[in-house]
Amino acid sequence: MAISKGHIRAGVTAVRSAKLRSFWTMLGVIIGVTSVITVVAIGQGIKQQIGGQIHKLGNDLITIRPAQLHGSTGVKNNGVNVLSGLNVTGALTKKDIMSVAQTPGVSASAPLTITTGAVKSDVETYDKGFVIGTSASLASLLNQNIEYGSFLTEDDMGTDAAVLGAGAAEDLFDENVPLGRSFTFHGHEFVVRGIFNRFNTTPLSEQADFNKAIFIPNDVAQSLSNNTAPTYEILARPKDKKQTAKIAAVIQGTLSKNHGGQDNFEVLQGNQNLQSSDGILDLLTRLIAGVAAISLLVGGIGIMNVMLVSVAERTHEIGIRKAIGATDRQILSQFMIEATVLSLTGGIIGIILSLIIDLVLRLTTNLQPVISWQVALLATGVSLLVGVIFGTVPALKAARKDPIDALRSQ
Amino acid sequence: MALIELQDVSKLYGFGDATTLALDEVNLSIDKGEFVAVMGPSGCGKSTLMNLIGLLDRPSHGTFRLDNKKVSQLRPNQAAKIRRDTVGFIFQSFNLLPRLTVLENVSLPLVYKGMSERKRLKHASEMLDRVGIQSREYFLPSQLSGGQAQCAAIARALVNGPKLIIADEPTGNLDSESSRLVMELLSDIHKMGNTILFVTHNPELTRYATRVVYMHDGTIIHDEQTAIGSVATTARKVLYTLPTTKEEDDLAGVSTLMKALPSKNTSRKKGRTAVSKPKKNKRTAVSPRKKKS
Ligand SMILES: Nc1ncnc2c1ncn2[C@@H]1O[C@H](COP(=O)(O)OP(=O)(O)OP(=O)(O)O)[C@@H](O)[C@H]1O
Ligand SMILES: [Mg+2]
Repeated sequence: MAISKGHIRAGVTAVRSAKLRSFWTMLGVIIGVTSVITVVAIGQGIKQQIGGQIHKLGNDLITIRPAQLHGSTGVKNNGVNVLSGLNVTGALTKKDIMSVAQTPGVSASAPLTITTGAVKSDVETYDKGFVIGTSASLASLLNQNIEYGSFLTEDDMGTDAAVLGAGAAEDLFDENVPLGRSFTFHGHEFVVRGIFNRFNTTPLSEQADFNKAIFIPNDVAQSLSNNTAPTYEILARPKDKKQTAKIAAVIQGTLSKNHGGQDNFEVLQGNQNLQSSDGILDLLTRLIAGVAAISLLVGGIGIMNVMLVSVAERTHEIGIRKAIGATDRQILSQFMIEATVLSLTGGIIGIILSLIIDLVLRLTTNLQPVISWQVALLATGVSLLVGVIFGTVPALKAARKDPIDALRSQ
Repeated sequence: MALIELQDVSKLYGFGDATTLALDEVNLSIDKGEFVAVMGPSGCGKSTLMNLIGLLDRPSHGTFRLDNKKVSQLRPNQAAKIRRDTVGFIFQSFNLLPRLTVLENVSLPLVYKGMSERKRLKHASEMLDRVGIQSREYFLPSQLSGGQAQCAAIARALVNGPKLIIADEPTGNLDSESSRLVMELLSDIHKMGNTILFVTHNPELTRYATRVVYMHDGTIIHDEQTAIGSVATTARKVLYTLPTTKEEDDLAGVSTLMKALPSKNTSRKKGRTAVSKPKKNKRTAVSPRKKKS
């Protein structure tokens, strides 16, 4: 029995005719699985990125921010609002900055004061970033290295010195190392002292993009703006890591006194920051994953529909199979297997697709989705379940057909 | 000892005013090794009888013993298992699964027996060799001629080694040459000791049978033993003495065959109209084409 070309062609035709239909049947499950995995992976990725950031800043970093003043609702800052501090006018004062710096046990602290105004170099007028007034401790508080030159020192306070984020350097001077060059801001001529290493940016981070920022001494920033520039954050680090919570409490108390008992600010420790953003991210991830899971359900209904049509179309086939001795249970399992194979294949294609999407996202955005094997396994399991659940109705319908009626239908 | 034993078996379809009495207290006993032709006009209940004997359907009344086992009221699963192990079906329209190759089609009954794939394909291949179309193993049914397709269907019916083969108009869709081929094949199978029941509208084909059963209106009206090789006497009478089918007869649903028969009053009403399927009467026992001078 030699296998001829005709034999092979016959086989290929038979498979291909079923393939396209199978694809349409699986489409719902493919989309469902892909979106669930991708959403969860993006959520996980952002969580890890923020975690990494906080890890870099250190668990002992204390962040003081104005609380968001959303009327009287008193909603606490959740750490996700990108420019939360910018909406708030002067909730943190010069006095607060002093209080934090002088709190016993604090080794270093730095304010972040946003100053507005046009920045001009001999090449360019810069409007993409902003000017931040800060202290000499910022670089060490952020654990961020200076790539060229040096950061502001205590001696620079009160002088027109500046340090640039890597992006600001390029935009303002069209070169990577504009050390010693100068720009004007509010009529003052600032000299560039240093350029930061590129900051890792994090999606949904509460930090403004420091790569685009220009850092100048805080007191200069204050005087240039006639003390109207808002301080949107004060960073502080304790001498002793273990004292972090205690010192945070002390700062809370002092500032509360400064503000006359009004709690229009908040004091966060590094890990608290993480927790609050984790919580909201988890919630968000679950929500979107839930919506995606509904599409999986829709995919299941799709399988059921196509299977029902297929059962109706194949009534005659069912009749033949029964006539030659298939029991109801054998017909049932035939259609159940078909449904589960369809949904499982859809699930696997979905996993492969989400791996591809993951790669594309990593290459084209600053997202770094994380596909855990647990999620992939869960998706596989769920698609199997979808096949079993939604395959049952059509399979039962097939199994219960009367052989003679089925044979008679054409 | 009879392989098939029907006692007062009736089959009703529908209910209320729409009730059809497809079989009316049929008594029939068929021994092992018989080759039985079933004849009768369209709608007389031949297929109904075949379906009952093949356990595709259950009688409304009466008892049916197959191989000395009472099988009149089996549950669907039990019936399926007996069909699988004891009965081989051959249909007028071949009923091969269009998406499976010929080999896979033939091996299908073995799938339901739980045989391993290698074994069942080997088995099926042997069966195809026996019916003479092994060279078409990997063809799809649509790539076969009618005669070849029916041979494949016969191979499928035989693959489980059934005690009984039921063929409802196996040559109904075939030309005379293919019909001869298929009947010769069935005849060979019969010679090897199988019991075969087949329905036909062609009196010529009674040549192959050892016994001919004539039905009308759900009852058996005549039953004769006949020698292999010659057309059964009653059927021959139809062939030679009543060569025409009149239009009025057609409309009345009364075939010439029935007029030739001595017994039974054809005007007897059975809760269904006499005019059943005028279209199908073309296929009644005598066709002008078969006329001999
Ligand atoms: N499922 C059904 N429901 C209602 N009536 C039916 C059903 N099956 C068969 N019948 C009726 O039972 C009678 C016998 O039908 P059957 O198919 O056995 O005839 P037949 O002898 O095989 O005819 P033909 O030679 O045309 O195949 C017919 O009157 C038919 O209309
Ligand atoms: Mg019939």
